[in-house]
Amino acid sequence: MKLLQNSGVPIYQQIADQLRAEILGGKLKEGDYLPSIRGLAKDLKISVITTMKAYEQLEAEGLVTAVQGKGFYINAQDSEMLKEQHMRRVEEALLEAIHAAKIAGMTDRELQETLAALQDEKLF
Amino acid sequence: MNTDSVIKAANLKKKFKGFELSIPELEIPKGFATALIGENGAGKTTLLNLLTGIRLDFKGEISYFDNREKISAGKVQERIGYTGPNSFFLPNWTVSQVEEISELLFENFHKDRFEKLCEELSIPFKVTKNVKDLSDGNRMKLMLATAFARDTELLILDEPASPLDPLMRDKLCDMIREYLDQGNGSRSVFFSTHNIADMENVTDYAIILEHGNIVEQGFVEELKEKYVVVKGEAEDAGAAGKVLFTIHKGSYGFEGICLSEKLDQLAGMDVSVETPTLSQISVAVMKVHTSLQ
Repeated sequence: MKLLQNSGVPIYQQIADQLRAEILGGKLKEGDYLPSIRGLAKDLKISVITTMKAYEQLEAEGLVTAVQGKGFYINAQDSEMLKEQHMRRVEEALLEAIHAAKIAGMTDRELQETLAALQDEKLF
Repeated sequence: MNTDSVIKAANLKKKFKGFELSIPELEIPKGFATALIGENGAGKTTLLNLLTGIRLDFKGEISYFDNREKISAGKVQERIGYTGPNSFFLPNWTVSQVEEISELLFENFHKDRFEKLCEELSIPFKVTKNVKDLSDGNRMKLMLATAFARDTELLILDEPASPLDPLMRDKLCDMIREYLDQGNGSRSVFFSTHNIADMENVTDYAIILEHGNIVEQGFVEELKEKYVVVKGEAEDAGAAGKVLFTIHKGSYGFEGICLSEKLDQLAGMDVSVETPTLSQISVAVMKVHTSLQ
């Protein structure tokens, strides 16, 4: 796991993002336990509360479940939820693009044309 | 967040000439590291001395651990490790004598762990050097080694970072995190510090003390949401000053700390916001409550 101290993205968010990617990417499997909160805090040289906040975010998203005294285990990821998670990321990325376009003074139309042009290139 | 507490205190009062520590309610969360922050003379050491039982001449109730025991109860003090701002070893003791005496005093003192800590902290062990001849940094490291060499459930550390160099402060943070990890939720640490930036990555809960009163406290991640750093243009400084908690004005703009809930009162101004560090929050809170102008 890579944490950037001065990226502007809060540390708990970086942890949640990276663990989410591992869960959705199947690297962490259903029933696996996340590292213990205090163990991860020790390894990453961060406070316990920061790690806890990251885990609570993943729990709120339904990706993991907390078990008293045992930690957080990874839930079964059904395809509907996976799609929703991905859609949320698409929305976030688009919002960021809209924000950047505003700063650049682009019109809505120019932005849509840019999106269409990128899609036409069929990079993906 | 709801958590258990390792120390609970109520109606704490301790009067000195010209100073009164007065804390109606205090709870130190269990399983976390809590920092006690405040300017010189705010009452940090006084509070820690009440909590460790060094001072018993005060009013109020303090109870410890899950069974809410008193400090005088059977093994409560055995379960607490302490380091203070002044050396509590006799000046003529050698490092090996400190080890021998700690072993006599505490059932839960582990000689092998102490020797390993001395090595890790590069304390001149096995050299017949008296405690009084050690540098401030080495004396603090020696106290920390005796505290961490015991099996305890609570560490109360009064300014442990101050005499340490940056490398050793980093090591101290590692030691605290490892201590908490080994306890898996059952061990807690309470330390006072002026070195907020160095200790931020090991601080879960912060208590800010001014003139003997708690003026702010909370889990650090919650405090970081409660306050926000605001930067803006010089022409807005006057209007922003009415909303901001603290503000620093310059000819190129202003910078300050704002309560997040008041952020919408800055609507219409060209401002940038960012999440504050614990140091920024502490300094802002201290500035508002200080008697120094």
